Amino acid sequence: MKPNKRDVMWISALGIALLITLGFVYDRHFAPEWKDYQDEFREMIAEKYGEARAAQVPAGVQQIWVKELNRVDRCTTCHQGVEWKGMESAPEPFRTHSKEPLAKHPISKYGCTVCHGGQGYAVDTESAHAVAVEHWEEPLLGAEMAAAYTVSDRNALLQVNCNGCHRYDRETKGADVINRGKQLIAEKGCRACHVINGRGGTVGPNLTNVGELSPEQYDYDRLNGKKSVFAWHMAHFKDPKAMSPATVMPNFGLNSKDAQALTLLVMSWKRRALPVEYIPGFQQADVPTPEEQRRESEMLTGKGAFFVRKGCFICHDVSSFGIQSASKIGPDLSIAVTDVQSRFGRTLEDFLAQPTGTMAVVLSTQIHLSNEERAEAIEKLHEAYKIKEAESGKAAQGEARKGK
Amino acid sequence: MEAKRGIFEKLFWTWTPKTEREAGDSVVRNLLLHWFPAKVTNASLSFGYSFWLGTISAVLFALLALTGMILMFLYVPSVERAYQSIKDIEFAVAFGWYLRGVHRISAHLMVAVVFLHMVRVFLTGAYRNGVAVHQNRPLNWIIGVALLLCTLLLSFTGYLLPWDQLAYWAIMVGTNIASAAPVVGERIRFVLLGGNTIDQNTLIRFYVLHCFFLPVAVLFLFVWHMWRIRKDHGLACVDRLARTQKRIAAIVPTKTYSLLGVAKGRTVHVEASLVDEESETVPSSPNLTQRLLVVTLVTVVAVSLLAIALPTPLEEAANPKVTPNPAKAPWYFLWLQELVTDTTIHLGGFTVNGAFVGGILIPGLIVAGLIVWPFLDRSPVSAAGVWFAAARRRQNTIFLLLVLAVLVLTIIGTFLRGPFWHFYWPWDAWPEAPKHF
Repeated sequence: MKPNKRDVMWISALGIALLITLGFVYDRHFAPEWKDYQDEFREMIAEKYGEARAAQVPAGVQQIWVKELNRVDRCTTCHQGVEWKGMESAPEPFRTHSKEPLAKHPISKYGCTVCHGGQGYAVDTESAHAVAVEHWEEPLLGAEMAAAYTVSDRNALLQVNCNGCHRYDRETKGADVINRGKQLIAEKGCRACHVINGRGGTVGPNLTNVGELSPEQYDYDRLNGKKSVFAWHMAHFKDPKAMSPATVMPNFGLNSKDAQALTLLVMSWKRRALPVEYIPGFQQADVPTPEEQRRESEMLTGKGAFFVRKGCFICHDVSSFGIQSASKIGPDLSIAVTDVQSRFGRTLEDFLAQPTGTMAVVLSTQIHLSNEERAEAIEKLHEAYKIKEAESGKAAQGEARKGK
Repeated sequence: MEAKRGIFEKLFWTWTPKTEREAGDSVVRNLLLHWFPAKVTNASLSFGYSFWLGTISAVLFALLALTGMILMFLYVPSVERAYQSIKDIEFAVAFGWYLRGVHRISAHLMVAVVFLHMVRVFLTGAYRNGVAVHQNRPLNWIIGVALLLCTLLLSFTGYLLPWDQLAYWAIMVGTNIASAAPVVGERIRFVLLGGNTIDQNTLIRFYVLHCFFLPVAVLFLFVWHMWRIRKDHGLACVDRLARTQKRIAAIVPTKTYSLLGVAKGRTVHVEASLVDEESETVPSSPNLTQRLLVVTLVTVVAVSLLAIALPTPLEEAANPKVTPNPAKAPWYFLWLQELVTDTTIHLGGFTVNGAFVGGILIPGLIVAGLIVWPFLDRSPVSAAGVWFAAARRRQNTIFLLLVLAVLVLTIIGTFLRGPFWHFYWPWDAWPEAPKHF
């Protein structure tokens, strides 16, 4: 009934092996790359601002979730200095983000990758920057990528993402490369042959959503070097016939910089479903019709502007001045001169000086009239009454004539 | 009475029964062990006969169930969220990458090990009834074939869940092959996908099959499979042992627990052992339990190491508009995909589609053949439970050739097929995959 010694030995050995394996798994969880960065950042803050500030540095995986854009960005797990003041000259990943872009694009509303590219889900440098990882289509458009394509401005490539939202801007502040591209589109007359953003000729293909094409949909047979959409467009813009021999597109003799500008511009032309609040210049408001605008401006600047300014028009029409109340709670003020007399048995002047009923409440709480304003009101009401009288006189004459 | 144990014994306690009675009791009284026999032959315990492939499959299934149940808390089976939730498991969930790695490696290994288990059973002729009465090993073989099919389906349904390009297009290939079945093919595809395209309906169908119906089916079949082994008096090698000991005469009721002997026939497990207990058997506790622990640990350690060494891939999010080149089915169906290509014949402008021959006819015949084979096998009883028995040489050779063909086709499909399904040697570089930047 003795246990098999060899089996017991195997169980012990395998038990230890399992323990070591799980130890490795445990270590990988509790000593990730980002912890080193967080420690380093906290030390920098402690050195610069003292321990109290350093204690405020958040620990653990950080993420910005932008539901509207369907982005989860964990970049700030390492890039902790992004929103700190005073880390402008710190080395990456601790540097403060340049101020201007953030003013209009707060991180909480935009995240990081929507502009910079990269894999927001990831929490290790290699996967997050995704410059050389398989199966992630949006690499970080920073210095490394710029160097690979010998683009002098390290921020040039990421402008492709600016135009994701700013597509219909004539010019976008800070996106010089894209602006140059748009300028070239106009200068070279691209729309003569191509439909771009919904208008243009039909000789060449419609370019409105050309950025949607996947890398596999290009023909790289005539392209030397790295096979990428960017490289293809660069070569095509410099010499269209070199990439597609059958094309009738002329060679515009573009220099590298202009070719880059156009390449980034066409690559940015993607079909994007943006929430309305992310579309630049889009107003979430009713646009008044021209008729409504005319009436509104008449009310604001015409003879009855006084009644609009003081808020009388909220309850009263002043029909002889073309002022229409939305609610029409009170009577038309055009006939106030006689109407007050008949209702209250007092003159208009007397009533306005010492109002009764609803008007007593309104004139003591919501609308305050100075003596001058009261005088102006009385004068205007008389004028309105005269117009009204003249109108009704004409109408009466008309009736009489008809009667004959 | 148990002897007083010192601190060392308490820390490194191994249970050792003092008598056979105690050893037997420990098995019968234990919920987890009660389905074991009280005593087990040395031949069944040996690694060389069975390679413990069935046990390894069961351990892998347990690992899959365990990691799968945790993953169910983390995975969202919706087209919008599935891919993101896998990314979260990979990057943000504590030990998520490990859970997913273990689940994936176990799944792949389970397909391979269950297949090897079947090969072992065939080569040893272990689906044959031996000398004991009431055996029905052919039935257990059929249950085994059903378990293999369930394993394939489990893996196939799990393949879609990450909702990446690999998943989407593998399922596209797989379900397109299924649609080549005559008459009902299109219908099968429609039912599988819950429509004509792979979309939310497909995902939820595959998810429910993967997490509930198929595991329950496997559990049920597994229990039946184990129960049959007990009813069949253990592994086939025991019958062989019995024959060599010529103790067939011993298979008579030696005692009866039926009411005063009124009941006819024998009761459940009171018949004497087939073999000489003294020389050939040992108590299951601790011998079988220990060896079970060895096999379990080997499996868990191997799976863990593989999960650490091989990163679990996750391709781009599924995109119905972009077909990856090449689009491949899961590796265990690549022999079928390869068959489909090889049986697609171009005669001038006329094309004979191989999907029916390679995708339906041949695998259908193979499964049907597997099911009926035990009833066609006319080899003598002496050939059961023996590796490469001379009397079964011809059928073993044909079977091995079939296995080899499946393996070769799988290897070609997996490693030697590149873009446009062109043939590439391992040292031939595939054309560079283009990127945006």
